[in-house]
Amino acid sequence: MKHSVKLRKPLLKQIKADNLKGSIIQSQPLWVRIFHWGFAISLVVIISTGLQLHKPAHFLALNFSKVLVAHIVFSWFALGFLALRFTDALIRKDDSLIPKIRDLKHFPKLMAYYFYLRSSPPPARKYNSGQLLIYFSWFLVFLLASFLGLASYWQGEHLIWVWRLVGGFQMIRWIKFMISIYFLATIPVHIYLSLTEDISRLQAMVTGYERRPPKKN
Amino acid sequence: MISRRDFLKLVVKGAVLGNFSQLITPPLAKAVAAGEIHKLPVVMIETGTCTGDSISLDNIWTPTFSDILTNILDWRYDWIMNQVQGQEAYGILQETYEKMPQEYILIVQGSMIQRDNGHYNHVGYENGKLITGIELVRRIGLKAKYVVAIGSCATYGGPVAGYPNPTQSTGVQDILPERRVINVSGCPAHPDWIMGTLLHLALYGEPELEKFGRPKLFYGETVHNRCPRRSFYDQGIFATAIGQKECLFRVGCKGPVTYSDCPIRRWNDRFNWPIGCNTPCIGCTEPGYPDLMSPFTSHLPDIPFPGGTKVNTDSIGLGVLGLTSVAITGHVVTSLYKGRIQKNLLKTSSKTNHRPALKKAQGFHKYWLKKTNKV
Repeated sequence: MKHSVKLRKPLLKQIKADNLKGSIIQSQPLWVRIFHWGFAISLVVIISTGLQLHKPAHFLALNFSKVLVAHIVFSWFALGFLALRFTDALIRKDDSLIPKIRDLKHFPKLMAYYFYLRSSPPPARKYNSGQLLIYFSWFLVFLLASFLGLASYWQGEHLIWVWRLVGGFQMIRWIKFMISIYFLATIPVHIYLSLTEDISRLQAMVTGYERRPPKKN
Repeated sequence: MISRRDFLKLVVKGAVLGNFSQLITPPLAKAVAAGEIHKLPVVMIETGTCTGDSISLDNIWTPTFSDILTNILDWRYDWIMNQVQGQEAYGILQETYEKMPQEYILIVQGSMIQRDNGHYNHVGYENGKLITGIELVRRIGLKAKYVVAIGSCATYGGPVAGYPNPTQSTGVQDILPERRVINVSGCPAHPDWIMGTLLHLALYGEPELEKFGRPKLFYGETVHNRCPRRSFYDQGIFATAIGQKECLFRVGCKGPVTYSDCPIRRWNDRFNWPIGCNTPCIGCTEPGYPDLMSPFTSHLPDIPFPGGTKVNTDSIGLGVLGLTSVAITGHVVTSLYKGRIQKNLLKTSSKTNHRPALKKAQGFHKYWLKKTNKV
């Protein structure tokens, strides 16, 4: 018969300290977590309202002026979260999201791992080369989409050079649609790999802490 | 003479009431009678065109086109309107060019055909030599007081420059980069847009232009913003097929991306306009028309691939998403089969190296850790 035993706190601490696998470290500071979830929620609203504005679903009789307002408001939210992350990175001198040449050199090996040609992923900094490429591209394309969104919001009153460079409203709309497709194609990959590669990393995005395996001697 | 402010008011009022030309005629007649208006000489060169803009311009009801020619503008050279032909007609063009530099308005209708130095588009015959459209437009345009491009072809290339653009056609601004070209776009351009721009030039000089060189007084707002069916859009009530009375956005209406005052000005003496007869706006006033606006029943343009194939943007989007879904599903199945997912989850989710063993100490509810060999 199984008995539940209430242990004294000092004993519990000793058990944890003695048996913990690896070490628990803070890997995602509070501002990073706020950015991640805030940006994620904003992006979900932006993309879903954007798709609704692009091609209205006939089973959803939504008020379109409100859909447009939601699209614009959450775009500003997302930009705000991005600004938070950027400021946080500057203050902490955090360059973990900027891909470097040495990161990219590991990319073929990482692909070999994903295609089952290697048993383990190559060594990486905080993020592997695939993550770096995708995350960094997300920042860039989101800023591009926001910029084009701003140009279309002002209807050619400001940022006229953008209209001329791009070639008109229809091209702005086309580029924004392609960007949303890029997000829709890469976000599921991000979620899938977060769930199946290192669940401790996912936990860190909630609690801030992750467990690092013990260093091999 | 009426002030510019009053003129702009008449433009809007005329659009709403549908009698712009009627409203503008009396003050103009007074100004002409008082000698306040110096008749501007006008020459029109047609290049790669279907002449649709001339036909559209002829569609002014009151005052008639001849009234305008007689009283306001000195219409000197135009293939459709010429009373003479051959060298005699061409001589008038040359005379205007030589004797009235910086005085005349050059109107260009049709796209600039550039392939093989423009030799697929001859517009004149001079000293035993065929003159190309780009050559004549450049020569006449450089000495003109104003250069006005009318119609989609002259402004941005239009259907003539459509994919794959075998004639390498383009708009007038591209071959006259030294000059500011006033674009009166549309396929065809509305007669009020053409005549309103010419009247503004005659009375007050160059009108305020928007981002693509079009007069703001006609191209300042999108069709969507002024559309009488806008309330349907705002409420999310959409037509599911062409011919229905609701908002035509779902069946490819380009109103949201098209700048023109069609909804208030309408066509054929304010009789009707495309959305009024339940067909979507095709965005004919915008740069990139028709490639960027076709298929007309779809929001986004088809994307050309090598070999002449065109694929719809929505289909490409769905294809990419489908491919991602298939790739992720395949990876999940393979990872489960190879045990990678199970291994990764165990490796990253087990908290301790081994289960702690406890031994009961002497006493009530006291436990000590058993000393075990750690893994």
